[in-house]
Amino acid sequence: MDAFIDALNSLGQGFMNLTWEAAVMILIGCVLLYLGIGRKIEPLLLVPIGFGVVLGNLPLANLGAQDQGGIINLLYNAGILTEIFPVLLFLGLGAMIDFGPMLANPVVLIFGAAGQFGIFITLLLALGLGFVEQEAVSIAVIGACDGPTAIYVTSKFARELLPAVSIAAYSYMALVPIIQPPIMRAMTSKKERETPMAAGEKQVSQRVKVLFPIIAGIATILIAPMGAPLMGMLMLGNLLKESGVVGRLVDVSQNTIANLVTLLLGLCIGASMLGGNFLTWDTLLVFALGFIAISMDTVFGMLLGKLMRVLSKGKINPLLGAAGTSAFPMSARVVQKEGQRANPRNFLLWHAIGANTGGQIGSVMAAAVMLAVLSGLGIGPLS
Amino acid sequence: MDWSFGLTMTFAGMGITFITLYLLTLLIRLLNKLFPFKNEEEKKGKT
Repeated sequence: MDAFIDALNSLGQGFMNLTWEAAVMILIGCVLLYLGIGRKIEPLLLVPIGFGVVLGNLPLANLGAQDQGGIINLLYNAGILTEIFPVLLFLGLGAMIDFGPMLANPVVLIFGAAGQFGIFITLLLALGLGFVEQEAVSIAVIGACDGPTAIYVTSKFARELLPAVSIAAYSYMALVPIIQPPIMRAMTSKKERETPMAAGEKQVSQRVKVLFPIIAGIATILIAPMGAPLMGMLMLGNLLKESGVVGRLVDVSQNTIANLVTLLLGLCIGASMLGGNFLTWDTLLVFALGFIAISMDTVFGMLLGKLMRVLSKGKINPLLGAAGTSAFPMSARVVQKEGQRANPRNFLLWHAIGANTGGQIGSVMAAAVMLAVLSGLGIGPLS
Repeated sequence: MDWSFGLTMTFAGMGITFITLYLLTLLIRLLNKLFPFKNEEEKKGKT
């Protein structure tokens, strides 16, 4: 009889050990699941993240990212702390991306630099709010509008902020169609938004498409070696695609690797969102600063767009500046929509895709330079 | 606040990112000049 009572007691241990913080996090996990499944908002990310939050916060389940020896802890240590997951995601991204529009109209690549300005404004704000250098850099990189880059930098320097930074980065990427349009309209006149650009796809030689990832990969890694894992994998993925001779590797990079890593990355990030470390004032600050970062990316992109319109004597639509972020292809779609709203005969998508792929390269470069500066100043990871 | 760190990071970060992307635009222009699409199409037409 005693054994039966002991068994019943042990069955109730989960309920007995459920804290209010864990209960709130399980609720947040369910909200993320609802957004992913019910509202279809970034389901590929929100479903594994949401379920990871639920699993990670269930008491005694040993499924939190920090629960030593647990299955998710093993995945977290092997994939996130080693930075393998974000790097592999870049391989898949490279295999999916088409640099063609950017290669045909290289001037749009410059928008990819302006689209990173929010990173540095946010860095100054985060330092002003009292975050230490490594934390400030990790928060600022949300402005790269690029989940894998944000995870890569944060897992290197400020692991305690990883859940907040990664959720903020992916959330704001998904919210680009809501965040950007009001800024774009506020910063341009209707006449500027109506600026027509030549439609139709300019063709690029296949040799250029093959040579670009090789030469650009070498050049950018020589300039900022700290970003080599991200840039190297991005360019390798693209080379596989453009070479036209390794269809099976392209297929596995675009589908198997990208999907498997997205699943495991989402699960691990979700399971690292524990009540004790997520329900904090710092998390709110991270989300607020992330919003500022992405808004500032758009503001400075638009300012460069306006300057380019003047310099090109009205040949460049300033809306393209908003596509300089790394939120691919959401920013490009927003530019197309806003352009057509001002002038139904405007077709900016092709140009905007070029600027958006430039944003991908720009975000990795900005992150690589930040890592190099940190390293140069002798600032290591937070213990 | 560590202004020297923040400003170093901002100027180095934005400056090097801009310069690198500008160099990449020059590289792309050069590649497009060396290997124009038209020549490739003509070559395909001849064969």
